[in-house]
Amino acid sequence: MKSHPATPYAFLLPALAVYGLFVLVPIAGSLRMSLFSWGDTPTSVFVGLRNYAQLLGDHVFWRALYNNILLLVASLLLQLPLAAAVAMLLSYKTLFKPLFRMSFFAPMVMPTVAIAILWQYIYLPEGGLASTLVSKILGKPFAYAWLAQPSSSPWLPSPSMFWIFVTICWQYTGFHMVLFMAGIAAIPEELYEAARLDGASELQVCRHIVIPGIKPTIAVSATLSIIGSLKYFDLIYLMAAGLPETDREVMATYIYRLAFDQGQGRFGYGSAAAIMLLLVAIVVVVPIQWSKRKRQ
Amino acid sequence: MKYLRHLILFFGLLCSAYPLVWMCVTAFRLEADAQASPFAFPKHWVTRNISKVFASGGFEDPWLNALLILVALCLAGLAVLVLLHIVQGRFRISTCIAVAILTSTVVFSKCHPSVQEALSGKGFANAYVNSLLVCIGSVALTVALSSLAAFAFALCEFRGRNTLFVIILAGMMLPVHVTLIPLNLLLGPDFLGLKESLWALVGPYVGFALPVSILILRSAFQAVPTELLDAARIDGCSTWQVFAHVALPLARPSIATIVIFNFLTMWNEFAFALTLLGPDNSTLPIALNDFKGERGMYIAETCAALAIVVVPLMIVYGIAQKHIIRGLTAGAVKG
Repeated sequence: MKSHPATPYAFLLPALAVYGLFVLVPIAGSLRMSLFSWGDTPTSVFVGLRNYAQLLGDHVFWRALYNNILLLVASLLLQLPLAAAVAMLLSYKTLFKPLFRMSFFAPMVMPTVAIAILWQYIYLPEGGLASTLVSKILGKPFAYAWLAQPSSSPWLPSPSMFWIFVTICWQYTGFHMVLFMAGIAAIPEELYEAARLDGASELQVCRHIVIPGIKPTIAVSATLSIIGSLKYFDLIYLMAAGLPETDREVMATYIYRLAFDQGQGRFGYGSAAAIMLLLVAIVVVVPIQWSKRKRQ
Repeated sequence: MKYLRHLILFFGLLCSAYPLVWMCVTAFRLEADAQASPFAFPKHWVTRNISKVFASGGFEDPWLNALLILVALCLAGLAVLVLLHIVQGRFRISTCIAVAILTSTVVFSKCHPSVQEALSGKGFANAYVNSLLVCIGSVALTVALSSLAAFAFALCEFRGRNTLFVIILAGMMLPVHVTLIPLNLLLGPDFLGLKESLWALVGPYVGFALPVSILILRSAFQAVPTELLDAARIDGCSTWQVFAHVALPLARPSIATIVIFNFLTMWNEFAFALTLLGPDNSTLPIALNDFKGERGMYIAETCAALAIVVVPLMIVYGIAQKHIIRGLTAGAVKG
């Protein structure tokens, strides 16, 4: 559409101004602050790359990154197949289908804080739902600090991270399920009919028609999980608070704790950690976007 | 096979719904019972917990607080309706009246001394009003800014279009927590001086909502038939008129998507609210977190507080289920 040469810029200006001021400027600020000893010394001094050097030797930082990666792998290997399986179960004629869909998706609408509080009661060491279930199965009283188990070796994550991951599944499975349901619904009906006429079993239909058919959805879901897993903050910050500090962090909570927890105020060092998170995000996201573009 | 499938699904239903049902049930239990065995079936039912939560902070009378929350919720619903009306181009007298009621109530609630006194400090009534103000303001601003920008990206030709678009899209991939520290300094007393007030949240919320919203609206505007735009042009419409009277009304479904997506994201947002707000200006997630910190050992009471926050959301979700699911998935997938 033709218009006065200045008009498009006038349309863009307000959005660009807000975006620039509250997204781009802070990132540039982060980059600059990461080069200063801001908060570690009484006056902020330019220290070059020393914050980064210190970060590379900081094992809490590596631990946080490790936890992020584990959560990412877990959500790809456990959560997505679970969501796909539920979607496949729902793809047949089902009683109360809208009820199932609505109920599985419901946690997505809740504030994460509410989810964290609710699940802290489920994981109460004594009398919580998890402990009650185990004690019913064992037939004797049972107490276990689900959310305060330190890791037993430097190479293993804390078992509590897995229990937090269960909560993450509770929150997000319904979301991915809805995506998969849409993917399955987009597979042409004739394919199923042809397969059944040829005498394919349900498993064969699933293996040769449904799974190839939802490949694009798998790609979308996986991308969302990968990007989302670098953004974990709320649940980990609230639920892992009882763990020792070497076990409880992911990248985002570590940045937060460095800068804001109990007057630590290590803005320079925290900014260096933030820039590292940004780099990790770039390393992870750029290849994904690149391959997406190539496929198109 | 059919029965096995239903069995598995009902087991899933149990897993996903049980925590919420437990929360609602425990909100009506005696505190001592809930402490002794949190997951047993209740023997006595009381409403004490609910009124206790309402009585903490806000007005003296818990029922006034409940009323206030109800009013806030109705206003939230009204606000979303008004937003949708405006963007649909149905700006009629009824919409004007709704806007007038809305603004006057909100302004009154924040400026009138007696209400102001009740609404200073902690309590869920205050948090509801705060969340409402922040979310309505931010969503309205997001819709306005992103529709303008998306129109330019979709239908105008200018130099640097692709570069600018890529820069904006990059914001979607960005982990927001990278900006926590610098935003605290930017909004702090040395620069903008907004920290501790509700205004501090609007900038970051809108800034981070823009990329997704622009992307969604851009594809909506690209789907507008060119013949329509050309016809409007030939009839003498300016670019602004084409935008306001032709393109925007046709992008309705996408605007509904971004309103729902952004409203829910902002309503539930935690990290920015945690670092940028002062102790007297909590939004709902922060009020919940504070409540848990102070009274978390009282299980029944905390469940009552959770229910006050979650149940209204679930009611809205139950009514507008289809739109909310579509809004959240489309918003996230496009992003």
